[in-house]
Amino acid sequence: MKRSLILLVAFTLLFSAAASAQTITLNMLEVITSPERTALLNTLIAEYEALNPNIKINLISPPYEQSDQKATLMLNTNQPLDIVEVRDYTVKQFVNNNKLTDLTPYFENWPGAQTLSPVADASARIVDGIPYLVPHGIFIKALFVRPDVLEKYGITEMPETVDELVEMCIQITDPAKNQYGFAWRGRGPTMKYSDLFASVYVKEVADAEFIYSEDEEFFLHPDYKKGMEAYIRLYKEGTPPDGVNWGFNEQVNGFVAGTTPFLIQDPDTIPLLNSMLGEDNYIVIPLPVGPHGFTVIDYGFGGWGIPSYSKYKDESWDFISWITSAEKNGYFAEHWGPLPVHTTTFEINDHFQGKHYQAYAYEMANPDVYLLKTYPLASPKWPAWSASHETDIQSVLLGTITLDQLLQKWHDYWTK
Amino acid sequence: MKLLRSLTKALLLAMFLVFALFPLFWILITSLKGGQEIYAFPVRYWPQTPTFDNYRYLFRISDFSIYFRNSLVVSLVASVGAMIISVFSGYALSRMRSRRPKFVLLLAMYFTQIIPTYMLMSPLFISLAKIGMTDSLIGITFAYVSMMIAFSTIMAKSFFDRIPVALEEAAMTEGCTRTQTIFRIILPLTLPGLAAIFSFAFVNIWNELFLAVMLLSSNHKMTVPVALNSFISKAGVNWGVLSAGIVVALLPTMIVFAFAQKFIIMGLTEGAVKG
Amino acid sequence: MQKRGQRYFFLIMLPAFALLTLFIYYPIFQGAVIAFQRYTLFDLTSTPFIGLDNFKAIIRDINFPFFQILLNTVIWIGVSLVFQFVLGFALALLMRKPFRGRGLYSSLVFYPWALSGFAIGLVWAWVFNGQFGMINDILIRLGLIKMPIGFLSDPRYAMMSVLIANIWYGIPFFAIMLLAALQSVPEELMEAGKIDGAGPVRRLFSITIPYIKPTIISTTLLRTMWIMNFPDIIYAMTGGGPSNATNILATQMINKTLKFYDYGQGSAFGVIIMALLFSYAIFYLYLTSEKEELL
Repeated sequence: MKRSLILLVAFTLLFSAAASAQTITLNMLEVITSPERTALLNTLIAEYEALNPNIKINLISPPYEQSDQKATLMLNTNQPLDIVEVRDYTVKQFVNNNKLTDLTPYFENWPGAQTLSPVADASARIVDGIPYLVPHGIFIKALFVRPDVLEKYGITEMPETVDELVEMCIQITDPAKNQYGFAWRGRGPTMKYSDLFASVYVKEVADAEFIYSEDEEFFLHPDYKKGMEAYIRLYKEGTPPDGVNWGFNEQVNGFVAGTTPFLIQDPDTIPLLNSMLGEDNYIVIPLPVGPHGFTVIDYGFGGWGIPSYSKYKDESWDFISWITSAEKNGYFAEHWGPLPVHTTTFEINDHFQGKHYQAYAYEMANPDVYLLKTYPLASPKWPAWSASHETDIQSVLLGTITLDQLLQKWHDYWTK
Repeated sequence: MKLLRSLTKALLLAMFLVFALFPLFWILITSLKGGQEIYAFPVRYWPQTPTFDNYRYLFRISDFSIYFRNSLVVSLVASVGAMIISVFSGYALSRMRSRRPKFVLLLAMYFTQIIPTYMLMSPLFISLAKIGMTDSLIGITFAYVSMMIAFSTIMAKSFFDRIPVALEEAAMTEGCTRTQTIFRIILPLTLPGLAAIFSFAFVNIWNELFLAVMLLSSNHKMTVPVALNSFISKAGVNWGVLSAGIVVALLPTMIVFAFAQKFIIMGLTEGAVKG
Repeated sequence: MQKRGQRYFFLIMLPAFALLTLFIYYPIFQGAVIAFQRYTLFDLTSTPFIGLDNFKAIIRDINFPFFQILLNTVIWIGVSLVFQFVLGFALALLMRKPFRGRGLYSSLVFYPWALSGFAIGLVWAWVFNGQFGMINDILIRLGLIKMPIGFLSDPRYAMMSVLIANIWYGIPFFAIMLLAALQSVPEELMEAGKIDGAGPVRRLFSITIPYIKPTIISTTLLRTMWIMNFPDIIYAMTGGGPSNATNILATQMINKTLKFYDYGQGSAFGVIIMALLFSYAIFYLYLTSEKEELL
C-alpha cells in the first residue's frame, strides 16, 4: 500500500516536471497580407516549429484593406499578441502609444544587425534612432520599361533624366491609337510620384533630412513649381486621362497592355509582371534623375516588432531573428517581392542577381546619386497630408484649382 | 390586343432580367479566364481558353471550404434567431394599444437603422474584448442577431398589421391563449413575410464584412466575405480568383432566395384574412 | 384585462431589447462620445474633450468642402431611392400574376441583393473601367464614342456611375417587399374595382397603393437610412473621388478614420449622419402617422 502510494507520488512529480516544459503559443499578426504571402509565412513557420517543438505560432492574417485597423485595434486593447508586423506608416503611431518594445538589447547581441544594409538599418531605427522593429522587406522604386513598345516608335535609348522621360512619354502619345506614355498613379500615395519630379528640381533637397527641405518657403520655391509643371505636363500630354483614378492595379494593367510603357514601381511588382507579361518582355532601369543630377529614393518597409505587453518577448525575438536571418529573409523576399535586408543576401542568393534586380542594386550602391530620404513620417501633419495630397493633385489636374493656388495651399498647410 | 400586352410584359421582364444578370455573367466569365486574358481589350466576352484554375486555387490554397462552413452555420443560426425574436417583438408592436410607448419603441427600432455600422466597430470590439468574446463565432453570431433584430421587427410588424385583430379576438374568446393564437392562427398567415425576413437576414449576415474582420482573428474561424476580401492585397485585386469566390459565395444566397420565393409568391388565401 | 395584455407585449419584447442595448445602444453611445474628443490614432494617450471642435473642423474643411459632401449625399439618396422604388414597384407589378417559370425568374432577377457591397463595387468598377471596361467596349463597338471614357475618374460621370450601381442593387429589395405586399391585396377588392369600371391604372392608384401603404412607408423610410449608411459601393468604386465628386457623409467618415487616423472627426461625421436621419425619421413618421396605418 505504502509502496504504491510512493510510486504514485513519484509518477505525478515526474509527469508534472515533463508537463512544465509545455508548448508556448505565440500570436503573430501580419498586415501586408496576401494569400500567397500567408502561404509563404506558413511554410516558414512550419519549418521553425519543427526545429523548436515547444513553440507554436498562431498566424493571424486579416485582409490587407483592414489589416492596419485591426492591428491598431488589437494593440490598443492589449489583445494577446507577441509578434506584430509594422510598416513605415504605422511605426510612429505604435511607438507614440507605447505599444512597441525597444529592441536595442536584442540588437546588441544579434550578429545579423551587422549585415543589415544601410537602408534596412535606417528603417529599423526610423523612430528616434531606436530599433523598434526588424525590417524584412525594403520597397524602393525603379523604372520599368517596355522596350518592345518603344521600338515601334523608333526609341532605343532609355531616359536618364526626368525631363527626358517626360519628353519621351509625350513623343509616343497618340490618343487615337490608345497609346500613351506614363502609368500614372492617381489613387494612393500620390506624393511618392509627384515629388520624384517636383522635389528633385530643388537643389537644396540633396542636403535636407527629408524629401521636403526645412526651408519654410519650400513649396513656394520656383524650382519646386518647375518640377510640378513638368509633372502636370506629363499628365496632360503623356498619360491616359483616366489615370487620375488609377491605383496599383490599373498602373500594372496599363503597363502589361502596352498602353503605358513606362512604370515606376516597387520590386514586388516583378513576380506579378513575370506571370502576367513574361520576364523577358520588360526591363528595369534606375530611376531617372533630376536636373541637378540626383533623385530621391523614398524607402518603404515592413518589419516585425514585439508588442510592449507581450509575455514571451525572448521567444518572439528568437523567431524574429531566425526568420530575418540572411538566408531565411532571402527566401522570404525572393517569393514575396521586395528587397531583402541583408547585404550578404545579395551575394548568397542567385535570385537577387537576376537582371530585374540590377537596377535596385545599382540604386542602393550609389547613394550619392540616389539619395535615401523619407518623408517626415513622424510629423503629426503627415497622416492628413497623405490623404489630402491625392485630392489636391486630382483638383489641379482637373483644373479646379491652379498650380499657384495649390502650392500656396501646401505651403500654408505645413507652416500653419 | 391581349397579345400585344403579353408581348410588352414579356419584353419588359426580359429587360429587367438582362439588366440584373449582365454583371453576374461578367463575373462568371472572368472566373473562367486565365491571368492574361482578363486584361485583354477589346473585351472578350467568352474566354478563349476557359479554365477552372481559379476555382482550384480557391479550394486548394485558401481554405474556402472552412470559411464556407463557418459562414453557413453563423448565417443560419443568426437568421433563425433574429426571425424568432422579431416575430414576438413585431407582434407586440403591432398589437400594442397605448400610443405613447408604441411610438417610442418603434422609434427605438428605427433608431438602430440610422447608426452607421462603421461607428460601432471600435467600441463594440473593446466591449467584447473585455468579456473575451473576440475571435469567437458565438460572439459574432450574437452581434449579428442584434444587428438584424430592428429591421426584422419593423417588417414583422407591418405584416402583422395587415391581419385584422378580429381574428385573434375570435380565437381567444374560444379559449386559446394569446401565445397559442400567435402560433396556430396568425403565423401561418404571415409565412410570406417571414420568408422575406429570413432571407434578408440571411443575406445581410452572409455578406457582412467589417464586423467579421474586426471580431474574428483565427484563420479557421473566418467567414466568406473576409476570405473574398483577402484576395485584395498590396499587389492589387486578383480578379480571377475573386470572381470565382464571388460565384461560389453567391450559391447559398441564391438557394435561400429560391426557397423563400415559394412562400412569398404563394399568395394568401383571402378567405382566412377577410372571413 | 387591458393592463395584463399590455404587460404581455412588453415582456415578449424583452429579449430584443436586451440584445439591442448590449450590442448597439451601449457601443454607439461610446462611439458618439468620441466625436467630442480629440481622438487620433497618432497619440491615443491624450484624448481630451474638445467640445464641438471636430464639427467645426469638418464644416470648415477646405480639402473636402462640407457643402459639396451634403449635396452629394442628398443626390445619392434621392436619386437612388426614386429609381429603386419606381423600378422595383414596376417589377413587382409585372411579376404579380403567376406566369410560367416565375419561380426561376424570381431567383435570377432578385440576386443583386445577394451580393456583398464590396463585391458590387468592385464588379461595377470593372464594368465602368476607363480602359478595359465593358461599358466602354460596348459604346465603342456601337460607334457612339471613339475613345474610352474614364467614368470613374471624370467628375461629370463618376456620380452617375455609382448611382447606376446602387440602383441596380436596390431594385430587388423593393420588388420583393412590394410583391409580398401586393400578394395580400384581396382579390375581391380588385374584383369590386373592375365591376365599378375602374381601369387598371385607376385600380392601381385607388385600391392597390392605399392598401399596401404601410409597406410602402416602412420600406422607403428604411431604404433611405440604409442608402445613407451603405457607402460600400461608392467606396469600392471611387473612394469618394475624384476630387470629392462622389464623397458622401458616410464615405468621408470612413476616410477620416482609415486614412487620416482621426477617430474624433470620423465619429463626428457619424453623429451628423445620425442626427440628420433621426430628424428625417421623426418628420416622416409624424407626417404619415396622420393615417392610422403606421401606428
